[in-house]
Amino acid sequence: MSTQLLIQSAMNGFGLAVVYILVALGLTLIFSILGIINFAHGEFYMLGGFATYYAFGVFGLHYVLALLLAVLAVGGAGVLAERLVFRRLRGKTLNGFIVSLGLLWVLQASAQLGFGVLDKAVPSAVGGVLRVGSVVISSERLLVIVSGVVLIAALYVFLTFTRAGRAMRAVAQDADAAALQGVNIEAVSALGFGVGCGLAGAAGALLAPIFAVSPTMGALPVVKAFIIIIVGGMGSLPGAVIGGLLLGAVEGIGTLFMSSAAVSMLGFLVVIAVLLVRPRGLFGVA
Amino acid sequence: MIGFGLLAAAGVAIPIATRDSYHLDVATAILMNLVLTLSLRFEMSTGQLNMAHVSFMGVGAYASALLVMRAGWPFWAALGAAPLLAALVALPVGRIALRVSGPYYFLITFAFLEVMRLLFNNFFPDYLGGPSGLVQIPPPSPLPLPGGAVTFTGKLPQYWLMYGLFVLTTAMLIRLEHSRVGLVAGAIRQGDLLAETLGVNVLRYQLGAFMLGSFFAGLAGVFFAHSHQVLHSSDFALEPMVLLVVFTVIGGTQSVWGPVIGTVALSIASEFLRELHHYEVLVYGLVLMVVMLAVPEGLVSLPGRLAEALARRRRAKAVSMGAGLAP
Repeated sequence: MSTQLLIQSAMNGFGLAVVYILVALGLTLIFSILGIINFAHGEFYMLGGFATYYAFGVFGLHYVLALLLAVLAVGGAGVLAERLVFRRLRGKTLNGFIVSLGLLWVLQASAQLGFGVLDKAVPSAVGGVLRVGSVVISSERLLVIVSGVVLIAALYVFLTFTRAGRAMRAVAQDADAAALQGVNIEAVSALGFGVGCGLAGAAGALLAPIFAVSPTMGALPVVKAFIIIIVGGMGSLPGAVIGGLLLGAVEGIGTLFMSSAAVSMLGFLVVIAVLLVRPRGLFGVA
Repeated sequence: MIGFGLLAAAGVAIPIATRDSYHLDVATAILMNLVLTLSLRFEMSTGQLNMAHVSFMGVGAYASALLVMRAGWPFWAALGAAPLLAALVALPVGRIALRVSGPYYFLITFAFLEVMRLLFNNFFPDYLGGPSGLVQIPPPSPLPLPGGAVTFTGKLPQYWLMYGLFVLTTAMLIRLEHSRVGLVAGAIRQGDLLAETLGVNVLRYQLGAFMLGSFFAGLAGVFFAHSHQVLHSSDFALEPMVLLVVFTVIGGTQSVWGPVIGTVALSIASEFLRELHHYEVLVYGLVLMVVMLAVPEGLVSLPGRLAEALARRRRAKAVSMGAGLAP
């Protein structure tokens, strides 16, 4: 096995891991604020893909503009979902699960009716390759990695340094105490749900030019995101990043030596190994 | 008890009312799903939602198929052994998963569901059939009774077989619900710390419920294997699991009647929704959202809520009339 091939497949695996981390971050953010496991999260990823398909593929906007548009549109859809539905279910995990499942079916069926069931190809955002010595990386993959890392960094800055971000973390820690300090919980929930869905939309927008878009494209990333969260710990943002990198590394390296079925199994063995030692995941708290 | 009698009678009435094979198919599927949702609710009565319930159905199904096809066991022996095996597999899984609760338990069991699906799909293809599924599973063999053998080929005899399994399951679970076990389960659900301080071994109860629930899931699996005669990993994946949770929670988890109402109502509703073709899934999703938002405790709580609202109105009326009569 040459180092060159190793680095290339590591970069490909890293690109996918970054995207799944974005999905997982949104999922875990929503859980930490509202106590809801949003099963419809993959559908927001799908909406991000279709937003990119129309803005970039059909109307020919610049890709970066289309990406931002997708984040805003899907984030707005998330705020809407929170205001109309999920705010009534704060802390009711089981009811929230059923309602998000209903939303999953509604969004998926609507997408099939509105966009058609067939896969739609999105043109490449950038062409060409980047050469570093003998290592060849496609610019497209590099764009995914750079944009993903920028978004994760932006989320970190937002949550650490802005007033709204700090309010969000306060609500995640203790909603009642945050309310007593004058934090507007309703506004924070809506914003948190919007940010979480916006991240999923960004993930869908980033992968749209690499894979095609379709109404059922959300099923795979959401399962990946769940696994990342199980490893990293429910409600923990650093956990989602570490968990995603760990699983990405295991699957990326595994792919070089094993069949895809064996790799999936290997991923789950890592999950089980982590859960045996830390039942709530690496960064999970009781 | 009266409710159970009515339910059992309704089961007898169906094949008398209709011999239509489509109706019998739907009725048989409802009875099988009732075994699954009632046992899932039994586990939930200790406060834990097991997202791997169908995996134990899968263990029962594959175990029974292999015992009959490979080991040459008679169907009736496999019917007894395969559910026990499912319960046995549940023991170590439960020990690990039950160290956590709530959303964490949900996610751990979800991970187990995916592990088992991958196992059924990709591993030991010579035995489990691989991605194309396990085929040519024989139907239930004839039951040699003193009055002559009873055969189980065809829809009607299989309906009766499933009906028998259903009555057995329901009788046991309702009996448990009204026993000390049911009371303790309720105490754990409402506050496991309090139950623990009162001397209840919470883990043992939850593990017991998990194993018993898995036993009944395995039982449903045996019937599924030999009535469908084909097993595929997708039969034990997230989608059927999610449907069981939907049936149970929409019906309501506070009483045994919740899953019964939810399973029967939603199964029949989805048969009618099929007429809507493209809009079927859309409407089904909307119905779920609306019901869950309007009746958070499930359909089973509806009569109680209506009665309460009526009583409140009557009281309000009485008060206003009384006020008018005051001197």
